[in-house]
Amino acid sequence: MLFPTIEFAVFFAVVFPITWLLNPYNTCKKLFLVAASYYFYAFWRPEFTLLLFASSLANYLVALLLGRLGDGRIRFAVLCLAVAANLGLLGYFKYYNFFAATLVNAIDSIGFRAEIGFIEVALPIAISFLTFHALSYIIDVYRREIKPSKSFLDILLYISFFPHLIAGPIVRAAKFLSQTATPRNPAEIRLGQSVFLILGGLFKKVIIANYLSTEFVDAIFHDPSNHSSLDLILGMYAYAMQIYCDFSAYTDIAIGIANLLGYEFPQNFNYPYRAVSVQDFWRRWHISLSSWLRDYLYLPLGGNRYGEFSTYKNIMITMVLGGLWHGASWNFLIWGALHGTALVGERIFGLTGSASAKPHSPIRTAFGWLLTLQFVCVTWVFFRASSIDASLDYFWTIFSGASWSTTVTPFVIVIFALGALSHIIPPRWFEMAQQRYDAASLPAKVLVPFAAIFLIAVAAPDGIAPFIYFQF
Amino acid sequence: MTNVDPQGSTKNGSGHPLRDAAVVIYATLFLLVLAIPQSLTNWLRDMRTTELQELALHPAEGLQSVSERAGLATAYRRSRNLFIALSGQQDSLTGSPDQ
Repeated sequence: MLFPTIEFAVFFAVVFPITWLLNPYNTCKKLFLVAASYYFYAFWRPEFTLLLFASSLANYLVALLLGRLGDGRIRFAVLCLAVAANLGLLGYFKYYNFFAATLVNAIDSIGFRAEIGFIEVALPIAISFLTFHALSYIIDVYRREIKPSKSFLDILLYISFFPHLIAGPIVRAAKFLSQTATPRNPAEIRLGQSVFLILGGLFKKVIIANYLSTEFVDAIFHDPSNHSSLDLILGMYAYAMQIYCDFSAYTDIAIGIANLLGYEFPQNFNYPYRAVSVQDFWRRWHISLSSWLRDYLYLPLGGNRYGEFSTYKNIMITMVLGGLWHGASWNFLIWGALHGTALVGERIFGLTGSASAKPHSPIRTAFGWLLTLQFVCVTWVFFRASSIDASLDYFWTIFSGASWSTTVTPFVIVIFALGALSHIIPPRWFEMAQQRYDAASLPAKVLVPFAAIFLIAVAAPDGIAPFIYFQF
Repeated sequence: MTNVDPQGSTKNGSGHPLRDAAVVIYATLFLLVLAIPQSLTNWLRDMRTTELQELALHPAEGLQSVSERAGLATAYRRSRNLFIALSGQQDSLTGSPDQ
């Protein structure tokens, strides 16, 4: 079930009142939200709800065990087994065929022949996100940052809650479980913010991301060698806009919907293409994933505590695995490694300053922004292309400079410019608009979303493509 | 629209945020069904047939007929046609009311 569909509108129109009617009866409400979330997930493939349930149950029991055990080797061994089981599940569904193929090719290249079976099984949607939610919970319990939840219902809801289930944001267990303990306060609803997040998300996904994809980007990446150098350069920037509008749209809508139900999610994007360094970029892009990787991978590896070389190694491991998290392919691995290399380079040359730190001159900041933006857009090619060969083909065609004509239409330029507004409009304008909305009369509050959705429907393409991050 | 820190925003100005949220959600959906009535009826027809959908189809068709008679659905079709003409896009979303 996609957010920008009539199915979801009907689903939410039923879930919203029942959730608030049951709010005084917290257990009943959570039971209902779990049922609704499982229905939401089952809309795609019902059989994988069993996997969702089994993962929740296993992690609930492991956390209880970790809570009872005293510090020592046994407790650590239980954690390692639980982490391995969670990653094993992810590995089986997502990475088995990739590693099997890599092994077969490696053995083949040294002159031997290997017979390794491949599995034919659909990848459960959102498995990466639900695995990271589960890991966040058991690791926090192991670190004694939170107590294990005695309520299985709370864990079921934490892992399956439909707004964040499919593509995040990754909500930490401590933050979410503190919100399930008591009924939610309706006064916590930030209507203006939720409405603007949902409308902005619909606009970015339905209009910007979909049109950039169907009108330009897909054709360019499908057959780069049949396009001009200029088209490929523009395609790179168009894809950068598409993926931002696609993914941030999903999490914006998720945050807005969760807030309408009384739950608070963390911010996931903060003007990422305004970043003035690659480190700054990762503080602004998919913040819930980058902070997850920092807290559960980079810091446990040692972070920056054991000298420069160890820090570089830890950055590379984190970024390569972070890249691989997005999908089982060499392209994602290379994408992660390139970002890791850039982060290491920035540390070596002391170029890690963010815009808010303000230690640099405006010229240096502007140069940092320009360089970072080019780097991020160039590396998106590895993220989007179907293979390494396709990526190299893409760059080869750009540098061959065969032709400088373009297939970009004025319509695509207008769509791109509208997408760019999301980074040009100052944040305070959004805040002012939300405040005005909140202070407006009730009829005006209705007319704003009606008019916005009406206009989006007028300009919508035929059919809505799935969100890019669904595959992760 | 985006890049908003959920913790950094002010709360609802009204003293009845839940009531306001409910009115906004249902009134918006109702107005959309009136303004683009074929979206609901087409969706109900396209879905797998269940008794509930059959049941919902009749009031949806009634609403569509009211909307058509009152001329409310015309605004969407005209706007859509204008967008198609300006953007040069292909269209399969507009058409006759009973599409």
